[in-house]
Amino acid sequence: MSLTILTRRLDDVVILDLSGRVTIGEGSVQLRDHIRQLIAGGETKFLLNLADVDYLDSSGLGQLVSAFTTIRGQGGSLKLLNLTARLQDLLQITKLLTVFETFNSETEALKSFR
Amino acid sequence: MTTETPRSFALTIPSSLDQMDGVYSLVAEAVAACGIGEELAYWIELSLSESTINAIRHGNGLDPNKLVTVGIRCDGSQIELVVEDEGKGFDLADVPDPTNGDNLLKPSGRGILIIRSFMDSVSLDRRPSGGSRLTMIKKLSQPQP
Repeated sequence: MSLTILTRRLDDVVILDLSGRVTIGEGSVQLRDHIRQLIAGGETKFLLNLADVDYLDSSGLGQLVSAFTTIRGQGGSLKLLNLTARLQDLLQITKLLTVFETFNSETEALKSFR
Repeated sequence: MTTETPRSFALTIPSSLDQMDGVYSLVAEAVAACGIGEELAYWIELSLSESTINAIRHGNGLDPNKLVTVGIRCDGSQIELVVEDEGKGFDLADVPDPTNGDNLLKPSGRGILIIRSFMDSVSLDRRPSGGSRLTMIKKLSQPQP
């Protein structure tokens, strides 16, 4: 299953609902291009809902980190919502849990942007 | 729990990242035939794909004329993954720690860490015919989910 990205907006926060696989090549590039387009459109607050991401490799992780640093460099923020147990493990192993703000509740995540 | 009858699966591909779908399919075939549970299958796929990507990109320098061979073997007591390339190899001890300070926000360099965190043993050796071989073993001491 390839990657599907649905884009929602609540106030000034862009929520990306990701589902499928974020792997080297197609999925990873698709995510990068999607976020770049939104940044170019002036978006600065991003919430990535990973609940339905069933596979993410180190390239996908790298894409999350790249997006995080790019957005932060422009004064914005990127946060993660609904990590699966596997993604939680991956972020723990790579110590990226110390980098990303993560949430299990969309409401709480949105509050954090205010 | 995996089946105890030894089963082997192998695939040889040119060094192009476009070939990764074949590796994912090989894992799916092996997982089904070996009776590997979903959770274990996820980490097996991740370990094999990370090492194959390294072989394609770093071992063979994305040269499509150079080949990468991947193998999966299961026998009920362990799962062995093997990735061979035509590169010069590297020292596992020389791989920078991606969790260290300046490396933490780099977009790449996490593959080996992920593999080592899951597999019970990871070793790299030179192939007699040239190139290098990465062997990764996961012991199955307990029934898997």
